[in-house]
Amino acid sequence: MTLAETQALFHEAITSAAPPGPERLRACFAGSPGLPAEDRVAIYAGMYLARLEDGLRQTFPALARQLGDQELGALAGDYLRRHPSHHHDIGQVGRRLGPFLRRHPDPARPDLADLAALEWARQAAFFAPDRTAAGPELFAALAPGDFAAAVLRLHPALRRLELPYDPAPLWRSLQDEVAPGPPVAGPATVAIWRRGFEVAHATLAGDEAEALRRAAAGAPLAEVCAAFAEAPDPAAAAHRALASWLAEGWIAGLRRRRRR
Amino acid sequence: MTTLLHHLGHGIGLRTAHFAPLTAAPPPVGWLEAISENFMGPGGRPLAVLERLRAEVPVVLHGVSLAIGSLDPIPARYLAALERLVDRIEPAAVSDHLCWGTHRGQYLHDLLPLPYTEEALAHVAGRVDQVQERLGRPLLLENPSAYLAYQDSTMPEWAFLSELARRTGCGLLLDVNNVFVSAHNLGFDPLTYLDGLPAASVGYLHLAGHADKGRYLLDSHDGAVPPPVWALYREALRRLGARPTLVEWDDAIPPLEVVVAESRRAAAIEAEALGTAEPQAAPRRLAS
Repeated sequence: MTLAETQALFHEAITSAAPPGPERLRACFAGSPGLPAEDRVAIYAGMYLARLEDGLRQTFPALARQLGDQELGALAGDYLRRHPSHHHDIGQVGRRLGPFLRRHPDPARPDLADLAALEWARQAAFFAPDRTAAGPELFAALAPGDFAAAVLRLHPALRRLELPYDPAPLWRSLQDEVAPGPPVAGPATVAIWRRGFEVAHATLAGDEAEALRRAAAGAPLAEVCAAFAEAPDPAAAAHRALASWLAEGWIAGLRRRRRR
Repeated sequence: MTTLLHHLGHGIGLRTAHFAPLTAAPPPVGWLEAISENFMGPGGRPLAVLERLRAEVPVVLHGVSLAIGSLDPIPARYLAALERLVDRIEPAAVSDHLCWGTHRGQYLHDLLPLPYTEEALAHVAGRVDQVQERLGRPLLLENPSAYLAYQDSTMPEWAFLSELARRTGCGLLLDVNNVFVSAHNLGFDPLTYLDGLPAASVGYLHLAGHADKGRYLLDSHDGAVPPPVWALYREALRRLGARPTLVEWDDAIPPLEVVVAESRRAAAIEAEALGTAEPQAAPRRLAS
């Protein structure tokens, strides 16, 4: 057999739901009376699934806890058959798990796709590029007339999710190892960021969610702050939000407004 | 190759579970081996920790996804990421495995054995040349643990590795546990394996634990180095002379002190086997 033929057969044997029979395997692989070729290939087939399932478990620890080993194994098998790994980093194998769960929802827990989206974003934030966050002096350095037109440069570790269900309460329950409550219908905007090397997330209230959406879209600060127009004291609400964004390291700096 | 790495002494694999103790005080080992793919991301804690530790002790980058024996072209994305990491970390050595692990763009995330044929040898040698040219340095390849062999193999693994080193100038990373595991599973004599290797090409050694699964040994990396692997390590040292040696522990990872103790045991066994003074366990800084 050529190298290409052996690798194609090996690949089929360890990834296919209907692997080749013993005769084909014995023609390629050497066995022994105590451990025939097909049993030897089966060792690799078992390790293939176990390793990728473990990769998913590392990326989605809360989801894995919610599902339990048996359900996670079944989900991993279904998912990996449709979405095998195409990246050298095994941590990337779960890239499509959130959308996969959205297409195949658990009627009792339709928020599992949202939980997966949250955990995927947490991993992305963890490995995001390093950049120094702006300090509290950022706005003080602006000339008063420049504030309204200034545009925020958000930190590359900051992620923003808009989801049908809020996954934060479910994630919290799983962290605390307490029984989760029922799914919390949204829509929900969740911010995910990094404090130093620790990843954090929070569900945002409507006005702050809208302000962050505008900031992420490159809107000038005047438009960002206008998201708080319905607050009892809009200026104070906008100030509180921007101060907290700075304190949490969401802002990397300011840039000129893009020409439209 | 051997003179390049001789100064390293005894080290351990860098694992996330040990980030905190390793960064709280100078690492209590001569060197660290980092899994390359775990540090190819653009930023975050792992890379920051690796850069900090690199300032304290030498680091070897050890890959698991190069898939040097696969038929897919080596992905440009992977080579670029490896090159960036090598430039950033300036490792003492760069290693990966003699294996294949991708098929038509799909990563199997395993270190699958190759048939040891002239066709495979020519294929792997060409790819080793490609990687070495790209990185501008020799690559070291590790013997895999194996649970099967191929009907069509025409030479033993040690002969394949020897010829590969001769053709390409690549170095060898001798995993002593893998020799023991494969010898048990495939029925060859591990001493014949050691005798067949070109000593000058062996850059460093790996030690690890394995699990007895009844009909076969599993290269599990989840426990202490077992006595027969220590015995084979002694035999390897007698044939090769002193070599930098690394203890791997990847599952059921114990506290750092336990892994460091295994590394110190390797140092003691080296001293005993070669009749030399035990090497210093304290870390050594690289000359800049």
